[in-house]
Amino acid sequence: MNLLEIKNLKMDFGKDAGALRAIDDVSLAIGEGETVCLVGESGCGKTVTALSIGKLVPTPPAHYVDGEILLNGRDVLKMSSRQLREIRGGVVSYVFQEPGAALNPVFRIGNQIKESLKLHRPDLGAPGTASARSGMARHRAGAVPGAPSRRKALDAEVIRLLKLVGIPAPESRLRNYPFEMSGGMQQRVMIAMALASEPKLLVADEPTTALDVTIQAQILDLLSDLKQRLGMAILLITHNLGIVGDMADRVAVMYAGQIVELSPARELLRRPLHPYTRALMASVPKLRGDADRLSAIPGNVPRIGNFPPGCRFAPRCPMAKPECSSKNPDLVEVETGRFVRCPFWKTE
Amino acid sequence: MKLNMDAATPTPTAETQTALSPWQLFRRRLRRRKIAMTGGVILVFLYLAALFAGFIAPYDYQRQDRARFFHPPIWPRWEHFRLVVPRYEKLPGDFVYREVPNDTRPLHFFIRGDKYRLFGLIPASLHLFGTGDTNYPVYLLGTDQFGRCVFSRLLYGSQISLSIGVIGILLSFSFGMIIGGIAGYFAGATDTVLMRLCELIMSIPALYLIISLRGTFPPGMSSAQVYAMIVVILSFIGWAGMARVIRGMALSLREQPFVLAARALGQTHLKVIARHILPNTFSYVIVAATLNVPYYILGEVVLSFLGVGIQEPNASWGNMLTAAQNTEYLKNFPWLLAPGAAIFVTVLAFNFLGDGLRDAADTKAQ
Amino acid sequence: MWSYVIKRLLHMVPLLLGVSLLTFLLMALSPGNFFTALQQNPQVSPETVARLKAQFHLDQPWYVQYVFWFKNVLSGNFGYSMAYHIPATTLIVQRLWNTFLLSFAAMVVAWAVAVPLGVWAAVKKDSWVDHACSFIAFVGLSIPDVLLSLLALWFAAATGWFPVGGAQSPLYDFMPPAQQFWDRVHHLLLPALVLAASSLAGIMRQMRSNLLDTLRAEYVTAARARGLGEGWVVYKHALRNAINPLLTIFGYSLANLLSGAFIVENIMAWPGLGRLTMEAFFAKDSYLVVDSVVMATALLVAGNFIADLLLAWSDPRIRLK
Repeated sequence: MNLLEIKNLKMDFGKDAGALRAIDDVSLAIGEGETVCLVGESGCGKTVTALSIGKLVPTPPAHYVDGEILLNGRDVLKMSSRQLREIRGGVVSYVFQEPGAALNPVFRIGNQIKESLKLHRPDLGAPGTASARSGMARHRAGAVPGAPSRRKALDAEVIRLLKLVGIPAPESRLRNYPFEMSGGMQQRVMIAMALASEPKLLVADEPTTALDVTIQAQILDLLSDLKQRLGMAILLITHNLGIVGDMADRVAVMYAGQIVELSPARELLRRPLHPYTRALMASVPKLRGDADRLSAIPGNVPRIGNFPPGCRFAPRCPMAKPECSSKNPDLVEVETGRFVRCPFWKTE
Repeated sequence: MKLNMDAATPTPTAETQTALSPWQLFRRRLRRRKIAMTGGVILVFLYLAALFAGFIAPYDYQRQDRARFFHPPIWPRWEHFRLVVPRYEKLPGDFVYREVPNDTRPLHFFIRGDKYRLFGLIPASLHLFGTGDTNYPVYLLGTDQFGRCVFSRLLYGSQISLSIGVIGILLSFSFGMIIGGIAGYFAGATDTVLMRLCELIMSIPALYLIISLRGTFPPGMSSAQVYAMIVVILSFIGWAGMARVIRGMALSLREQPFVLAARALGQTHLKVIARHILPNTFSYVIVAATLNVPYYILGEVVLSFLGVGIQEPNASWGNMLTAAQNTEYLKNFPWLLAPGAAIFVTVLAFNFLGDGLRDAADTKAQ
Repeated sequence: MWSYVIKRLLHMVPLLLGVSLLTFLLMALSPGNFFTALQQNPQVSPETVARLKAQFHLDQPWYVQYVFWFKNVLSGNFGYSMAYHIPATTLIVQRLWNTFLLSFAAMVVAWAVAVPLGVWAAVKKDSWVDHACSFIAFVGLSIPDVLLSLLALWFAAATGWFPVGGAQSPLYDFMPPAQQFWDRVHHLLLPALVLAASSLAGIMRQMRSNLLDTLRAEYVTAARARGLGEGWVVYKHALRNAINPLLTIFGYSLANLLSGAFIVENIMAWPGLGRLTMEAFFAKDSYLVVDSVVMATALLVAGNFIADLLLAWSDPRIRLK
């Protein structure tokens, strides 16, 4: 059984006549410990797909039309709010694009991390656990056994997490407010917060886009390092194919609310099949190679509710044929483990 | 009096937000537009009424009916396919009137009556409606303690109350824009001095300052002088808030490429401020002006109400309300509150319109 | 934090100086003074008038008067009320207290009602609750204090449930303490409600839009993504941030409150600074006008100072920078 299995997910914004399809028939699976990259231009539905895993898109205006999202075999879309709260953080944790916006500006970062700990790790510091049994904390507690020792255990755990994500002198950072930290440090805090609940799946939604280039590499290194050490699965969302090679086991390419190509990362990078993927690859600057070949994709991503008939990429596709604009092709497995939504994938 | 300058609320930028609900957005805008339209229509109606006050009012604002003090409203009614006005007779006791059965006069339209000057210039005596018979008066909103027609006075009063708001806003906002533009554009010491002055004015609760300012004018002024005085006083207080906001905008605008370009081309400071800085604040200024007119109207009302503004026998909504301060009057002759209702409707209409304009300005920013 | 407090306090000094100077100047510019009427009285000899004028320094230029006034104020002496024939300090303190009482009661009522209503409207956005609140807000923002006070007066007169004006009953001095307290509350209630109603709408609307803004913030989604309950997300994460901009409008709403109090005091005969200003104005009791304007400003400035402190306490970004 896969850790996450999204099956034929369809989601609209708005209802009835005004409904706009944001996600159209998206299927995606992630195994335990696997890293999957979801790639696409902004506005293609990546973020909405990712938020759907925790059913975090506000409904209304969003409206799930069809499909299921199986997390550990249970359908997220059918869960009660109580069950949802358990899997949010408990099974799937999120790291967002802008750490400065995703951290609450008026609370100390230590307390924000502790919120997750208190919620998802009730065992921490409770009698019977290692941290509570050892040391004088409980002895000194006297009349209220448990309370101070729990606080200490929580502090210790926060410090351990901050250390884990590479924050120097974590003890002194506990009482910091987000605005007192740099963007890179804030993102590390976000990651620590995501890890605090020991999730099976970490969803990182463009975690490096808002950061300086040098910091980007550090954060990506941290993510792959953590993946090695903790063995969790990662869904990394990005619009940058350049970082896919270092991180991903498999890659899903999204365009206009649909997955257009799904392949093992290495093969996709070596030989992209869908014209859109090829165009994306061509637009990634490489250190070596011919600078002349760097090209932009003409046109823009169609807006939701404004998709062209037939293949949605056809208007921008360099190899579009007349029939492309009449029928939207299906996502077909053309080689083992390689899916592509284009009947002309063989054409060079 | 408040001069509210709340900045436009920030708009959501997240991917999910912009995409999510064009439908909802559209419906909201439609509803807002309807409200704004309602406000606009009411205002057009009110200002037209003020403009043609002499024609619409059946009587002169000074005309006293000594037989009918505190007369309750008299409404024409439909009888035998025409509008007629009943006659009331005075009963013994204090201001008690009773309708005389089967004694009516028809209501005429476009009838000659009290003389007035249309737009303050053209002598005229034609009135929209009336009976032409002093024994059968039409007092739509009753009479006051001097037997004057409240409806007519309300119309004449609206000329003062409604115009003072607009003129006050024009004066104080132009002044505020110039000062704010200069402070923000030149920054530095000029800015510091001007802004301290603004702070000084804004830190005195408005009405206290108004009364202090009122004291500097001599007693016994003519009504035109009093009118000008009120405008000056209200503008003196209103410019500060405007200047502060414009100054903030100018501070950021002066760094904009088009302003830098204009300066590099050697345009004079004055030209840069007038041509490049101030026009960019217009959409904000128009919204703020609409939302602030009510406070100028209320300023006049309060001054006149307290007896230091427009003086009797001239009518203003404020000094008409003074009579209602007497609880005995208020209890027995509630129609004296009519000017209050008029103020309420006017302010509500301005708020409707201003809110709609603010929304429209917001959409442009998106 | 302490340096912030001291900086704010020091900021108040030139402001109050400037305000007193400005009001003094305005009073000096006013034609005539309290003695103008005395001079015309044939029974009062010119010598007496001159003597009295000299006593109150009214024969000196205004800036000299100001220096005398200022020296006295520093020693807690607000001069002498020429119209009331009592030390102005007594009068000012009593009226200041009444205005403070009225404004404070109104503020407590307004905020206690407006904040929960605004939160409710935001949480139940587009429901009937929200629509009802926005309707109330529109009406509340449009109904002038003058009309509301008159309506309250009419209500008091018609029902007899509330005293018609004043701050205490004529027999107040003969009442036992408990009854005295109740008497004051009874007199305070209606003016305070009128004043509260006039500022309620603005606060409610602001609260609603603030909370809606913060509910859209990414940290709210992030908080939900951590599995926090909806109540916790709204009332801790979102509300805590929505309060800050509200505290910044606190000062502004206080200015409105004091202007509103001026109207309510004058219509409902509440013996506060606003009423005193009008009485002193008509009596041409210049010092008293200056005193009450300065005191009202001081009240406003002090309120703003408290708002600043609250904001600093609430928002670490201000406190620590």
